[in-house]
Amino acid sequence: MTTPEFDELIHAPTRLSLVAFLAATTWADFSVLRDSIGLSDSALSKQLTTLEDAGYIEIRKAFVGKRPRTSARLTTDGQTAFDRHVLALQEIIAGAGRSVVAPGRPSEQT
Amino acid sequence: MDDRIEPADAARALSEIGRRREQVIRRRIFPGWFWWAQAALSVALVACIESGRGVVLGIGIALFVVGSAVINLPVSRAARAAPPNRALTDPGDARRVLTVLVASITVLLGVGAATALGLHAAGVPHPATIAAAVASVLFAVGGPMLVRYEQAAMLRRSGSQG
Repeated sequence: MTTPEFDELIHAPTRLSLVAFLAATTWADFSVLRDSIGLSDSALSKQLTTLEDAGYIEIRKAFVGKRPRTSARLTTDGQTAFDRHVLALQEIIAGAGRSVVAPGRPSEQT
Repeated sequence: MDDRIEPADAARALSEIGRRREQVIRRRIFPGWFWWAQAALSVALVACIESGRGVVLGIGIALFVVGSAVINLPVSRAARAAPPNRALTDPGDARRVLTVLVASITVLLGVGAATALGLHAAGVPHPATIAAAVASVLFAVGGPMLVRYEQAAMLRRSGSQG
C-alpha cells in the first residue's frame, strides 16, 4: 500500500508539471515535454537532469534517421514518489477539512 | 498533515497534476484532414477495383499503399511522441471503447455492403464506388467522434480518481 510522503523535489512547480505529465504517459519526447510544459531546451534539460539524478526518470536517446530523439519516462521509484506525493497533497487538504475534489490520484504502473 | 505547505498550495498542486493529465489525454494525434484523406484513398481504391482493369487496379493499390503510409506517418509519429499511460483508462471503459470501435466498423461495413447491394440491384452504375463513398463519409465523420469518446472515457476515469 502506498503511504503519503511529501516530496520537496517533485513539488517544485516546474518539476511537478513535468512529473505529472510523465506520470500520464509511458514515454514522452523531449520536444513534446518542452512544448507542453512551456520550457526552453536548456531549462528542460536542467530539470530532467535533476530528476534523473534523483532516480525518478529514465532518459533514452535514440536516432530517428539522422535526427536525435530524446525521450523520458518515470522510473518505478519516480512513479512511487509521485504517487506518495499526491497522497500527501490529498492528506494536507483532507487534514484542513476542506472539500476539495482532487483532480487526480496517483497513476498506476503499466 | 504536512506543515510545510498550505492546503491551498496542495490544492493548486493537485489541480496542476489533473491539468497535465488532461493535457496528455487531449493531445491532438489525428489532424483534421487525416480522416478525409483516408476516406478519399479508400474510395479511390474501390473505384479502381470496380473498374475491372488490371492496370488501373495495380495503380490503385500502389496509390493506396503509398498514400496510406504518407497519411499515417505524422499520426504514428505524434502517437509515439507521448503515448498516454494505459492505466488512465478504466478496464471497463477500455472494453466499452473497444466494443464501440468494433460496432462502428461493423456498421460501416454493413452500410457499405447494403448500399452496394441495393444500388447493384437497382441497376445503378458503379455501386461499389458509391457505397464506398457513403461509408467513407461516415468514417470521416465518425472517426473524430470515436477519438473524442475514448478521450472522454479517459477523462472520466481521471476525474473520478481522487
